[in-house]
Amino acid sequence: MKQKVKSYSKMIFQLVRSLHTGPVCRAAESSLLAKLRKKTGYTIANCKKALEMHNNDTDKAEAWLNEQAQAMGWAKATKLAGRTALQGLVAVKFDKNHGALVELNCETDFVAKNDKFHKMIEDATLACFKFAHTHMQSKGPVTKMELDSEQLGNLASEGGKKLSETLALFIGSVGENAVLRRAECWKANSNDVKIAGYTHPAPTVAGDYSAGKYGALLAYKQANDHEDIGKQLCQHIVGCAPRKIGDKEADKPAKNTDDETCLIFQEYLLDPSYTVEEILQQNKVEVIDYVRFSCGESVEANMPGVEKQPLDTVQTMQ
Amino acid sequence: MATFSLAKSLVNPALKLVLKHNQCSYLVNTTGLPVLTPLSIVLRRNYAEKQVFERTKPHCNVGTIGHVDHGKTTLTAAITKVLSDLNLAQKKGYTDIDNAPEEKARGITINVAHVEYQTEQRHYGHTDCPGHADYIKNMITGTAQMDGAILVVAATDGVMPQTREHLLLAKQIGIQHVVVFINKVDAADEEMVELVEMEIRELMTEMGYDGDNTPVIKGSALCALEGKNPEIGSEAITKLLQEVDAFIPTPVRELDKPFLLPVESVHSIPGRGTVVTGRLHRGVLKKGTECEIVGHGKVMKTTVTGVEMFHKTLEEAQAGDQLGALVRSIKREQIKRGMVMAKPGTVKAHDNLEAAVYILSKEEGGRSKPFTSFIQLQMFSMTWDCATQVNIPEKEMVMPGEDATLHLRLLKPMVCEAGQRFTLRLGDLTLGTGVITKINKNLSEDDRIKLLEGKKAREKAAAKK
Repeated sequence: MKQKVKSYSKMIFQLVRSLHTGPVCRAAESSLLAKLRKKTGYTIANCKKALEMHNNDTDKAEAWLNEQAQAMGWAKATKLAGRTALQGLVAVKFDKNHGALVELNCETDFVAKNDKFHKMIEDATLACFKFAHTHMQSKGPVTKMELDSEQLGNLASEGGKKLSETLALFIGSVGENAVLRRAECWKANSNDVKIAGYTHPAPTVAGDYSAGKYGALLAYKQANDHEDIGKQLCQHIVGCAPRKIGDKEADKPAKNTDDETCLIFQEYLLDPSYTVEEILQQNKVEVIDYVRFSCGESVEANMPGVEKQPLDTVQTMQ
Repeated sequence: MATFSLAKSLVNPALKLVLKHNQCSYLVNTTGLPVLTPLSIVLRRNYAEKQVFERTKPHCNVGTIGHVDHGKTTLTAAITKVLSDLNLAQKKGYTDIDNAPEEKARGITINVAHVEYQTEQRHYGHTDCPGHADYIKNMITGTAQMDGAILVVAATDGVMPQTREHLLLAKQIGIQHVVVFINKVDAADEEMVELVEMEIRELMTEMGYDGDNTPVIKGSALCALEGKNPEIGSEAITKLLQEVDAFIPTPVRELDKPFLLPVESVHSIPGRGTVVTGRLHRGVLKKGTECEIVGHGKVMKTTVTGVEMFHKTLEEAQAGDQLGALVRSIKREQIKRGMVMAKPGTVKAHDNLEAAVYILSKEEGGRSKPFTSFIQLQMFSMTWDCATQVNIPEKEMVMPGEDATLHLRLLKPMVCEAGQRFTLRLGDLTLGTGVITKINKNLSEDDRIKLLEGKKAREKAAAKK
């Protein structure tokens, strides 16, 4: 009996509560702030400020927010500029004669997994790829252009905005520092020179654009009657990180094959029973040049805001 | 008791005098020593300063996840402060938690920080979780574990784009219970906090958690740390800890699980029978327990007729004990190292596994080169080792210093279960270490023959299709 009464009272209580909280909840859901936040995605504090400034006029507030986003992004970017960003992605885009390799850094790898980050690096890569098509003068078999973070920032992305502006917007939205670290733009100047690219981890469906923790671009010559192994060679370069191509006459193979730094003497990654040189001969390939990026490999000493501490202070502090 | 300590304090100065005297005359007066020994024991108890960990409460591991600037470290510091006021923790400053110097320079946490504290109910190990790959590595190698997590969100910013990724990590490492702390409410108003709560519940539901019933606590870690506004400061922290106590269940201890003993060696003792030795992995083992010995393609049922440790019989062996177990009517030749003795029906031999593996970088003692699918490695786990073929389902290769999901096919079935740790080696190098995440159906005879095929045969088969 007692239990029955208890359960009844509980039911009544719940009924009353649902009556009571229902409208409140709906009110919160339909509140202007919630609406504005959902629509624009700016931080709650900023949405609030915008509404206050425009007497709860959502359209005006939204317009103001969009207007302010750039300035706020810059402010945030300047505030966070000193913080080390060593995570991130390396992206590559290439066609037969052009290639672009870009590194974008951020603070935590959580951010690097986010869609916004992927969009950002794709924009940057496309801008570099376009740059390789339009602005490069012909010289030698391959024209190469290295860009540092300032030059990268000055490139125009799709829609005419500067990359540095897009980046500031991105920083404003994730609240973490991000750096357009470096880029390579390549253009092959004759028809028999081909360009290939690869990133690791590679996407399941091969395409001309991909992003990963490591990336490489390769320029090579290959006779048409053989199977194209540009991508596989690129994968080898990403995997085994050779320091140079190597010259058969000038360089000697290392004693331990695992320590080999010349490309041609290395064991071929996809079939360790051959060296890369043997693979090149079999497939009639001539490697002209390559470049490899590993995300976050830029030396810490070059980073702004981090002071190198002498070893003994490190030890005493712990 | 009081009188006893009073007497002790009265006696002590006198004793010290005696001792002093004794030290000088030590060599001459040897007969005085036996009289002194019992007293000196009392003395030593007085200046035993080293603290002993007392195991009075169940232990639980929790961690904080969230955006770099939302105050994870401040919250940790606040928790230790509030609990230290109750004498349940040692107060840690912000700087003690971010304890590597380079972390201080950057102002953010990069390594896993370990802080301990206790509530009335439980003892906690507290971890911070700085990055996805870092945490996965720690989890696989077993340096950090979380039974539950506290998600920190600042009321001023709300849910950030990467909050989704934070919850994804929690999901991936198998955290079932997440408590949310909305931080910095001192800098926000009620409407904003309400909105943040709504957003976070929505996101939790979307990520497969029970968003509606997740405890959400609002407060300000900074206020708690500075001792201001107790209603959003220390009281909010107390409430958070209550929710953590209630919402995150205590993990099952190794001692309470069914027993398992990996066989290290087997001896035959004339007149007594066969003795199996090894370290009891989990559970308790008593004389007369029925058991099953599994591995190397065999399953044998028998009974433990005696348990010994250091040549003495033991009533009950507990997890962690190095022991010998006498088994009934089994010959020494029937048991081999690598087999597992366990409670009947609790373990099985498998040869088709999925695992999360961390591949060591060159600096950590691994290989400098990556590897691709079909590489054959030696897998070591418990006391067995077995050749295994590796398949990489998600990538084309695995680089050193990376974590990956691997499919492992063993050349013969061995005792495996989800959660078991193992090492992969190639020649004299340790390539990586991992945790079994899933057991698949055992291989058919055909599959097993295919394991031994070379690359040429595989290519031929692929060409035929």
